[in-house]
Amino acid sequence: MIKIKSRKEYFELSKTRRRIVLLVMLAMFIALFAQAIKLAAFEKNKLQKESRQRQHRELDLFPYRGKILDRNGSLLAESTPVYSIIGDAARINFENKEQKKQLAHLLKFRIADLDKKLQNKKRRAVRLKKNITPGIKIKIMKLKIEGISANKVYKRFYPENGPVAHVVGFTGSNGIGQEGIEMLMNKALAGEKGKKINLIDGKRNPRVIGEFQSIKLPKDGEDIKLTIDLRLQNEAYNALKKAVEKHEALSGSAVLLNAKTGEVLAMTNYPSFNPNGYNKAGDFIRNRSVTDVFEPGSTMKPLSLAAALEKNIVNINTLIDTGKGAYKYEGKYIRDTHPHGVIPVKEVIKVSSNIGSAKISEKISSINLAAMYKRFGFGKKTGINFPGEVSGVLRKHTKWKKIDHAHVSYGYGMNTTLIQSAQAYTVFANEGKLKPISLIKGKDQKISKRVLSPRTTKDMLAMLESVINDEGGTAPLAKVYGYRVAGKTGTTRKYMNGEYAKDKYIGTFVGLGPVSNPRFVMAIMIDEPLVKKGYSGGTLAGPVFSKVMSKAFEWYSLEADGLELEEIENKKEVYADKTKL
Amino acid sequence: MKLNLILFVVLIICALTTVNFKHLTRNNYAKLDEENKKTLDLKDQQTVLRIEESAESRIEMIEKTAKHKLNMHIPNKKERKVIIR
Repeated sequence: MIKIKSRKEYFELSKTRRRIVLLVMLAMFIALFAQAIKLAAFEKNKLQKESRQRQHRELDLFPYRGKILDRNGSLLAESTPVYSIIGDAARINFENKEQKKQLAHLLKFRIADLDKKLQNKKRRAVRLKKNITPGIKIKIMKLKIEGISANKVYKRFYPENGPVAHVVGFTGSNGIGQEGIEMLMNKALAGEKGKKINLIDGKRNPRVIGEFQSIKLPKDGEDIKLTIDLRLQNEAYNALKKAVEKHEALSGSAVLLNAKTGEVLAMTNYPSFNPNGYNKAGDFIRNRSVTDVFEPGSTMKPLSLAAALEKNIVNINTLIDTGKGAYKYEGKYIRDTHPHGVIPVKEVIKVSSNIGSAKISEKISSINLAAMYKRFGFGKKTGINFPGEVSGVLRKHTKWKKIDHAHVSYGYGMNTTLIQSAQAYTVFANEGKLKPISLIKGKDQKISKRVLSPRTTKDMLAMLESVINDEGGTAPLAKVYGYRVAGKTGTTRKYMNGEYAKDKYIGTFVGLGPVSNPRFVMAIMIDEPLVKKGYSGGTLAGPVFSKVMSKAFEWYSLEADGLELEEIENKKEVYADKTKL
Repeated sequence: MKLNLILFVVLIICALTTVNFKHLTRNNYAKLDEENKKTLDLKDQQTVLRIEESAESRIEMIEKTAKHKLNMHIPNKKERKVIIR
């Protein structure tokens, strides 16, 4: 054992110990310092996040989804508050039997069913009923039953149901647009979520903390105003429904355009669906006016004839021999429904002669005919940008055989959507200019494109008017009392399973009016009517056109241009300047 | 020494003011939150009223009222007046 002799020696001995202690302490400080640097510099974000998670609760603030309105501000879609009634089975306590009876009555339950839902006392949140209106929720809350609460959710509501269902579309259970305008304009309608940070207290109840930076208010979605006129939309739907039911057809579609602006005033299909209901699936949720194609048939004859007139290949008085109703061309027969013999060009449209149309088109080159069809908007999308819109098929002219060329002149061997047909006829309503069409109000209007000269358009308009007003025309049922209207019928056999079905037809009508200053263009298509009840375009779609157009003229206060002089003279209460007649 | 005392008093005042303003901020924030809730409730009420209004102003409802309550009808051809300017 070492014996310490003096105080000095003692300190000399402790020097080593002291160094060891100092080193240990230094090492500890270095370790602490290193840990501090590690926490402050390298794990700062992670630790702050953990801290926030423990103390704060971030709540999303949901924006109001924008409304969808028609051109006059009528409501088409709106998010409305509804409530889910929640029962805490462990806490629920009815003061008396009457209280339970009242709750069951408001929830439209039997008392036994209510008891069954709440029998498992371990369940703290039993959803007793969802989609409760605010009025009923208030009544339930007034009962002041312990353990009963209400959760607010927003549900999309479509007050107009079927007539506008295809245009407006609907949202899914997650609130995201699934069809129609709801899908197309989802981003604008949805708005932006907000955020609120709450401090969680000891009982884990969220409590507001006082930092303004911690709240970000939600940005409500934009309201979308459509070009649709709800009155005309309903009128078109009802007329279409009547026609489809009368002729026991498979379905029908109608499109009404403002001829001057290209705005879609009505676009409807029957059968439709209820966007407020469940099980929104199946064939009838498609907006068939833009998603389904069909062979347009005779409604294309004015276009091929216009191409010939425009190139000065024929004039309206050029005689065409349509023979006895059958014309052998390239080994195949082209037939008319009735023999018409030798007729002038202007009669070809009125009687809807396939032979006449084919013979006129023989004089036009395929490249010119195809180019004219393209300028009318066929073979490409209309630009309306509606979800599911298709462009239709207009094959390249270099692939046409001679018989294809003849077929295309009267609307076979190609296909279009109904909205393309309607748009094409805006050319006849605007002195030869094709109007770009739109469905959303206030969007930038594109410039019209000239397709025909005003002279050709004038000739075409006269021919289209004869289809309705002249004896022997194919659409006398499309007449509108007091107004001059024009249009063209189309009746095509359905192409199914690689061949034309013998007893399945599509009847179409595309028209415009008033002829003196066209304001509206309307296209109607009725699919697969019962043949014995009539299947021609004039019989099926003519009355729909007449009904809707007469209402459109009335509601838009258009001046009558089609009254006969005798008709006016027979009226006593007429204020007329007869020199102008 | 005097300066130190003054600085100490200023420090205490600043601390108390900070605490007070934080408290006021919290109160105002709570009020703002309440107002936001009220706004949302009013928006909900507006929505319900708008839907009711839309249901009442439907063309079918107007026609029904015109037909049954006011005994109105669409003029037939004989009743129409034609005005040509």
